[in-house]
Amino acid sequence: MSTLTLSNVQVFDPSQGLNQLSDVVLEFGMIEAISPVGESPLENPEFNANKSLLIPGLIDLSAHIDNVSNETLAAAKGGITHLCTQPNSKPLIDTPANVSLLQRASAKANRSHLLPIGALTQNLAGDQLANMHSLKQAGCVALSNARAPIKNALVLRRIMEYATTHDMLIMLTAEDVDLSANGKMHEGPTANRLGLAGIAEIAETTSLAQQLLLVELTGCRIHFSQLSCGRSVEMIRQAQVQGLPVTADVAIANLMFTDLDVNGFDSTFYVQPPLRSEQDRQALLAGVNDGTLAICSHHKAQDIAAKKAPFAAAEPGMSILDTWLSMMLTLVNKGELELSAVVNASSILPAKILGMKEGLQLKQPANLVVVNQNAEVCYSADSITSTGKNSPVLGDPLVGEVKLTLSTGREIYRA
Amino acid sequence: MTRHSDPTQVQLTADGRLKHFLTTEGLSKALLTEILDLADSFISTQERAVKKVPLLRGKTVVNLFFENSTRTRSTFELAAKRLSADILNLDIARSATSKGETLMDTLWNLEAMYSDMFVVRHADSGAAHFIAEQVTPGVAIINAGDGRHAHPTQAMLDMLTIRRHKGTIEGQTVAIVGDILHSRVARSQIHALITLGAKEIRVIGPATLVPKEMADLGAKIYFDLEQGLADVDVVIMLRLQKERMSDALLPSEGEYFKLYGLTEAKLAIAKPDAIVMHPGPINRGVEIDSAVADGEQSVILNQVSYGIAVRMAVMAMAMSGQVAEQQSLAAKKLNDDNSEPSETGAIA
Repeated sequence: MSTLTLSNVQVFDPSQGLNQLSDVVLEFGMIEAISPVGESPLENPEFNANKSLLIPGLIDLSAHIDNVSNETLAAAKGGITHLCTQPNSKPLIDTPANVSLLQRASAKANRSHLLPIGALTQNLAGDQLANMHSLKQAGCVALSNARAPIKNALVLRRIMEYATTHDMLIMLTAEDVDLSANGKMHEGPTANRLGLAGIAEIAETTSLAQQLLLVELTGCRIHFSQLSCGRSVEMIRQAQVQGLPVTADVAIANLMFTDLDVNGFDSTFYVQPPLRSEQDRQALLAGVNDGTLAICSHHKAQDIAAKKAPFAAAEPGMSILDTWLSMMLTLVNKGELELSAVVNASSILPAKILGMKEGLQLKQPANLVVVNQNAEVCYSADSITSTGKNSPVLGDPLVGEVKLTLSTGREIYRA
Repeated sequence: MTRHSDPTQVQLTADGRLKHFLTTEGLSKALLTEILDLADSFISTQERAVKKVPLLRGKTVVNLFFENSTRTRSTFELAAKRLSADILNLDIARSATSKGETLMDTLWNLEAMYSDMFVVRHADSGAAHFIAEQVTPGVAIINAGDGRHAHPTQAMLDMLTIRRHKGTIEGQTVAIVGDILHSRVARSQIHALITLGAKEIRVIGPATLVPKEMADLGAKIYFDLEQGLADVDVVIMLRLQKERMSDALLPSEGEYFKLYGLTEAKLAIAKPDAIVMHPGPINRGVEIDSAVADGEQSVILNQVSYGIAVRMAVMAMAMSGQVAEQQSLAAKKLNDDNSEPSETGAIA
């Protein structure tokens, strides 16, 4: 546990009303004091941040993790202190034993803290409920079906009723796979020109509408993962106004890219849900800026062979962990996202959704990241730690260089 | 942040010559016309007793067909042989990839055989483009159809057919009828027709088979065949695949023929000298009535013979573009090597 004074840091945490140049004193991993520069007792070893930004550590609501030791290091380097991992890993997170396997691997790696998401249905087949309560008891922070469909609305209803009985957090995606019709990208002019099968917006919105009606019926708390359509943001907003216990997130890719990026058939940009129109991207950005949406990495490392194929034959997903914070800060730099919205969407809101302590609170274990917000960074396949080199930003000029990450009081990364 | 290789540029050398033939999109009018002119000149050689020209002598062409197509493959094979190339037919649909070999592994194996040109047909849109980006410099890729994306040699043989029968493509009104959604032929035709100055391009079919985004490509959408055929110079009928019924896109072949099948009565709505085309193979009684397919206005069989000439033209042009590019790269390298000492000041 770190005993350390972070001096000269621009502490920024809208949840605690913090935005000032300060010294942050850590004792045995706890935040002891956030005091004006030079006023803290300096017997501690010092980390001079030279006015870098200090924000609450990022909490990722959705990542796919197969290689725990490597990917949690990638996450630590990316400023991520907690990382929810989807159940469709190897092995599937569908038994308490597998949950504990993952927890032990995370503890051994001693980097970003893995938070397992358990399987919602057996084998993620969407038919029979998994042992939801046992998985929660074993330490799953939530249950999801990854992006595997639950086609039967009655099964969905039963899931919600059962989850309500035992106060579980359920994460659902919104996609009617029949309407997706094996589509590979957003249905629109680009898909038509490239001759790639399109996924219509209604594949997401009709599914979301159905699930929102079921929430209305059951009162179940639902988090919707990886929304991609502007219309969906509006539906979540209305549901929240109506008082339904729903939250939602968007993958960073859908905030940064659009279907136009698929021009040239670059399989790096093959993701599920698909990259949609610029209009959708703008609505998603607005959803983050007004606090409706959290942001997740939706990280998925793919090996080179999985992506080295014609677009439709490649595997979906992007490698994000290393670059997630830089991607968000680049959007801040471009004026598309507000910094306070980024901190809210990637740390405060996820903490609330998961029922964790939010932000930089005194006398609490430190979850924080120090980042040089304005430093220009450029990632290459060699410089990212994730086993997946399928990053969409290799060679791009980004900003935001992570200097230090602390997760539950442990120093997990220092540049 | 779009920074990816533009599929329309990958096929050109630095000085704008054809080096692969992947799509008709983005190619200039001059280049498309050059293909047609060269094909025209090959048609006359086809009528001679000795049909071979030596343009690809010593070159190895590999027919890489991941999807079965006897007709297209045969015309490419004939085209390569008439250009004096050695040709290897690989029926990949039944061999390597079905044994689990990846597309990349297949490619590397074939490259190890020192091939000069791959003619590629693949079920995935973008496959030919992907292969063009992966192969060793100097190897030309000819797209013989990728998914729903493009079938540029078919489109160019259609342009040649129109030009030979109507004198010019400029000013023509062209109707493309049928399953536009799944048609790589229609997409390639639309790009070529626009560049070559067609007056109007109409796509005709039910909304399940005609995406509204076709308007973004410059086509006018008609759901009614009779309205769409009025004053048309060229009618292109597309083949209707059987699986469209099981995909719930159409109720039945019978209903389709009633609404969109080309009969003599419907053809009469078009201009009296309108020509009827079809990329083949035709489904008589499904999209076209036999009387029309075999009628005076039909040029369907002419299309087949022009197909060989067009394929000879693009193969010859792409190979010569590759050779020129390799020579200019070699010359540049020689030049750079020679100029090195003077940069260091060794030669005063």
